[in-house]
Amino acid sequence: MRAYIGARIYPVDAPPFDDGVMLVDDGHIQEVGADVRVPDGVETVDLSGRVVIPGMVDAHSHAGMWGDGEGDASRDGNERPGPIAADVDAVDSVNPHHRSFASCREGGVTSVMIHPGSGNAIGGLCFAAKTRGEIVDDMVIRAPTGLKGALGENPKRGSGKDSPKTRMGTAALIRDYFARAAEYGRKKDADKDPDPDAGFENALRVLRGEIPFRVHAHRADDIVTATRLCEALDIRYNIEHCTDGYLLAEFLGHRELTAHVGPGLSSRGKVEVANRDERNAALLHAAGVRVCLVTDHPFLDVRYLMAYGGVAHKHGLPFDATLRALTLTPAESIGIADRVGSLAKGKDADFLVLAGEPFRYRSPILSTFVEGEEVYTRQQP
Amino acid sequence: MMLAITNARLHPVSSPAGRGGLLIEDGRILEVGDIRVPETAEVIDARGRPVTPGIIEAHCHAGLSEEGIGWEGNDGNERSDPMTPHVRAIDGANPEDKAFRFFREAGITASQLTPGSANIIGGEQLVAKSVETVFIDEMVVLRPSGMKAALGENPKRVYGASRGPATRMGNAAVMRKWLTRARRYAEKSNAQDPPDFDMVLAALLPVVRGEIPLRIHCHRADDIRTALRIADEYALDISLEHVTQGHLVADLLAERAVPCAVGPSMVHEAKVEMRGNGFENVARMHRAGVRMCLTNDHPVVHGRNLPAAAGMLQAAGVSFDDALESITRAAAEHVGLGERIGSLEPGKDADVVVWSGDPLDARSFCDVTVIDGLVVYRREESGC
Repeated sequence: MRAYIGARIYPVDAPPFDDGVMLVDDGHIQEVGADVRVPDGVETVDLSGRVVIPGMVDAHSHAGMWGDGEGDASRDGNERPGPIAADVDAVDSVNPHHRSFASCREGGVTSVMIHPGSGNAIGGLCFAAKTRGEIVDDMVIRAPTGLKGALGENPKRGSGKDSPKTRMGTAALIRDYFARAAEYGRKKDADKDPDPDAGFENALRVLRGEIPFRVHAHRADDIVTATRLCEALDIRYNIEHCTDGYLLAEFLGHRELTAHVGPGLSSRGKVEVANRDERNAALLHAAGVRVCLVTDHPFLDVRYLMAYGGVAHKHGLPFDATLRALTLTPAESIGIADRVGSLAKGKDADFLVLAGEPFRYRSPILSTFVEGEEVYTRQQP
Repeated sequence: MMLAITNARLHPVSSPAGRGGLLIEDGRILEVGDIRVPETAEVIDARGRPVTPGIIEAHCHAGLSEEGIGWEGNDGNERSDPMTPHVRAIDGANPEDKAFRFFREAGITASQLTPGSANIIGGEQLVAKSVETVFIDEMVVLRPSGMKAALGENPKRVYGASRGPATRMGNAAVMRKWLTRARRYAEKSNAQDPPDFDMVLAALLPVVRGEIPLRIHCHRADDIRTALRIADEYALDISLEHVTQGHLVADLLAERAVPCAVGPSMVHEAKVEMRGNGFENVARMHRAGVRMCLTNDHPVVHGRNLPAAAGMLQAAGVSFDDALESITRAAAEHVGLGERIGSLEPGKDADVVVWSGDPLDARSFCDVTVIDGLVVYRREESGC
């Protein structure tokens, strides 16, 4: 057991307190609070003057899948030709030795949901992982955590002979896929023994409510299409990116949706992100949407997720909401809040030691801990 | 028309920070520090807020790679040939790119607009102020400000085996071939019987004559070395652009005082040639004494986040003053306008920013932007 003492602690699911004590044993938080007694003989780590927050949870990442200077040889995010790649599983594309995981640890991200890309109308299964490890299966927190779908520009760019050419074409493909999967399910239920189809099996997981459909949508009309498709199917879903969300905040707020907002700090590289606005997260939050701030790594280098939080906060997202949008809300959205996302008794000891208050450039992350192990230590400049 | 900014926490960059004001007349800074405020002057009371020179994006594709537009707005790389010194940024940059509005809102008052890095020599550059206009000519403060060139991955990726260059040595050979031709064209142009006009070679004349810098895109340490080698062979005036692995050759860069525009550092290592990208290594270059400014390579990272980049450079151990200088005076010197912009001094252009708080802090806003003595943005009127 080890005791971390003296820091200002933001548990996220409870108010912050100064001079906190956190007892960590066997990778888990035993106790956390201001009045926790340190048992005799326990090793203590003095964090006086420091700030401790939970390890951040990035609900939309392509860590281990492409980017970071690895070139075409390790581009493993979009199964082509599509447009329906429902049978693939992101677990099979992730390289734990990819340098993006080191970037995650440096950036204070201890848990990620890794998505297939958005090149296909149906992209495949997402899963949740810790950002430390050698074997991807050992890194998994939960799998699968969703089925990836995409609307808007990207599926239209596909080179497959069946790739959609228009937005209505993409929507029709998604409807058709779920309709045929439902038919497949009915045949199975009626013991008609249809040919096994992994893609339809994954659709059934969505249709039965086991996992959500996670829909890439930037432009306002694409977001509305996502709601139309998913509500007609009566399935759980959330919006990935949600770039134009602030233009229809009330519409989304009524639905108590979760939006994975990001990548932050980026430019308007394509038409569907032409309305990108730094106030998006704040306006969505104010309207009642559950907001997660995401990197979409490598599109925002995960090392700068905390800076993105700072920008969202500066543009009106309240401090507590910003911290939650980087920790507990994404953990809930992914379905791993029983283990991560806040500092509470029994949860994994995933936490960050900061030099000062969060969201300031000059409060760098000094250490990142995953399950009680220090996995990143800042070198003093 | 006079404008006075009073009660400021002044960061002139060229002199130590302190309390004081600025008096501006006819677009120029008249007085700095302890100013007298004429009765006729319009007054902005800074109420103790920080005031800095306008921020400068030294390597920028605004107007050439437009925001939120597809191929229709991409006018940065003339990919018809790897040798296009005769194309000019002024003919490609659209002043209606939204980027310039966001620049005004973020205190980015000037930027060097540059062709992309697909070509070995990509075209003529210019420096523009971020003023609102539909005529690019009205934004220009310096043209040409340099000639864009590129080594490394991009030219060989764009051209490759089908027409070349396909390798780094091919990149260098294409550059040498044309510099050699241009040098010969220059010699003949001075003679009695001048050669027939050649637009490509004519465009290279100011480069081989050392009248404008060749600004060479290079990330990897070996590309940096190649740039210096070719510069020596042809006695060129050069600057280095990006310089991601400059920390590996920092002593050499410092010794030769090569101007470097370093960045974009706030992105992942998007290409193999960007291995080592990050502010820790930028800080190493700074500590080694490299002559450098920061760039976001807008829109790779939006130019309006330049103060954030400087904040992260500070977090990596560089002093506040040096971090601020890296996006003001050092950037001005890099683009060839050190005499006109980049610091708050009498006689310089009145490009000034009033900040809501520490300009390099994530939570601060640009409150007022002044370009050439005119207020071009006020946050209180914008609803931001």
